[in-house]
Amino acid sequence: MSKYPFNRLGYMAGLILLAAQVSPAQAELNLLNDQALSGISGQGGIYLSGDISINEDGGPIQNTYFGSCSDTTKRCGARLAYQLKEGGGWMVLDDIRGKFSFEGLTLRVRKIDSGFGGDGALFNRDVLEIGLPNFVRYDSVTFKLATSSTARPTDPGFQQTDIFSVEMQGDVVLEGNLLVFPTGNP
Amino acid sequence: MNRIWLITRLAALLAVAVPGLAHAEMQSLSESELSRVNGAGIGLVLEDFKFAHGTDVENGQIFRIGGIKNSQGEDVEIVVNKLYIAGAGSNYGETLTPVNLGRLVNPYSIDVVDGNDIGVPDKAVLQFAAPHKVDTTQGYDCLSSSAAAGSGTCASRPASADLPQGERPDIGLQLNLTVGSQDTANINVHAQSAVIDGSYIRLWGDNERKQMVGQFKLNFYTPELSINACDQTTAVCGSRIIMQNFALELALGNSLQPMYFDVDGTGNFVLEVAAIQKPGAGTIGADGLRDSSDAATWDFYNDYYTNPDYRSNLAIGNLSVGDRDFGSGRIEGMLIQHLKIQTKDLAQ
Repeated sequence: MSKYPFNRLGYMAGLILLAAQVSPAQAELNLLNDQALSGISGQGGIYLSGDISINEDGGPIQNTYFGSCSDTTKRCGARLAYQLKEGGGWMVLDDIRGKFSFEGLTLRVRKIDSGFGGDGALFNRDVLEIGLPNFVRYDSVTFKLATSSTARPTDPGFQQTDIFSVEMQGDVVLEGNLLVFPTGNP
Repeated sequence: MNRIWLITRLAALLAVAVPGLAHAEMQSLSESELSRVNGAGIGLVLEDFKFAHGTDVENGQIFRIGGIKNSQGEDVEIVVNKLYIAGAGSNYGETLTPVNLGRLVNPYSIDVVDGNDIGVPDKAVLQFAAPHKVDTTQGYDCLSSSAAAGSGTCASRPASADLPQGERPDIGLQLNLTVGSQDTANINVHAQSAVIDGSYIRLWGDNERKQMVGQFKLNFYTPELSINACDQTTAVCGSRIIMQNFALELALGNSLQPMYFDVDGTGNFVLEVAAIQKPGAGTIGADGLRDSSDAATWDFYNDYYTNPDYRSNLAIGNLSVGDRDFGSGRIEGMLIQHLKIQTKDLAQ
């Protein structure tokens, strides 16, 4: 085993680090004491708009080869199956499809030390604030709640009982802020 | 040697470049400090929250629940005309204002709790909980929408000058049923200034039955729960059935008799609260007293029969239909000893 290449490489790396870090790093980084650190809180935040489509219409291609949602032997929509007992049947959320669009979901860290009918002052901590978007547009959102004998529809002996299905469309009013924070005594 | 030199050199460089930031923050915890650390759950509070959805076909809004058949095999479709969660004083959903749900000092929570603390030995239990109830000296009356501090056990506060949005929502639902081709009237259900403090769902796994088990507690208090029906076309409404001071405390499953969830082999959902085991022969004395019985067995059954947490209650302050009062009704201390519910597919 030759030591030579390693040493040479290591030496170069050391030089590069030295060159890159010495003077600018010294100027930039300052020690913050506990008091100064405790005064720092997250600023700004994130503003999100967008839409989420889940198998809304079976994807970009619909034909006899790739399948289409009208073809009963193929399937559109997501399926979530959960077995409640070893060897038992499955609880299923089936045929989850549709599009959710929203404008202005915000994410930020907020310090709460007042308001909330006096709870704010008692609380006096940071929370993660998820600003709800006021309106969420549902476009042909559907899902089914069902029970099934197998996890997948293609498994042998598949038998399914649909309990009910839900269809939602249009603007849903969803206003306010969801505040998320740890509980207990971390 | 060279390698060691390089490593020490690099370490020295890093130490110069990142001067002692970590030193000030990190401190080791002693054993006794560590033993007091609990796993923290997630607290959730909704601030100035408002939710509304419904069906308004002309404006492209649809909210429908289908796939249900009646016993004659006709399709039953539920059209949800309106569903709202908003501030108290909404005048049956006419004016929707924001509301706070949960308190920062007593929020809705998702947590994994130690089963030993709640009577489920040696299990980690997943818990979804509403704000827990508090001592009467700090709490608010669960029913009164003008309750002051120290009047009851509920943590959620009604709207007041300090907290105009309040923490008790108005919840309402208007729906109509279509059976086959026949429309029914609109059915409206409204709950005013509702409180669900002390409710929870706990889920865990049972080793012997290898099955999901749970415990469900629903507390629902409202000063007025009303139901009425309106004609779909003329919007003329019938008499309102009003239940004043409605208090439901429903306990499904408890730590001795948890609720078992299952889907059987043919794909039907089964919900079961197993019957409690009978005491062994001779363990409970003929006179039923502790002295003549096996003490541990007697204590077990005594707890089962006396613990108010295992029992369900329903109280209605006054039931009225239109302008007629029917007075109050109360069901108290109902203990579910065995329950088995199984769905059945009528198509089969």
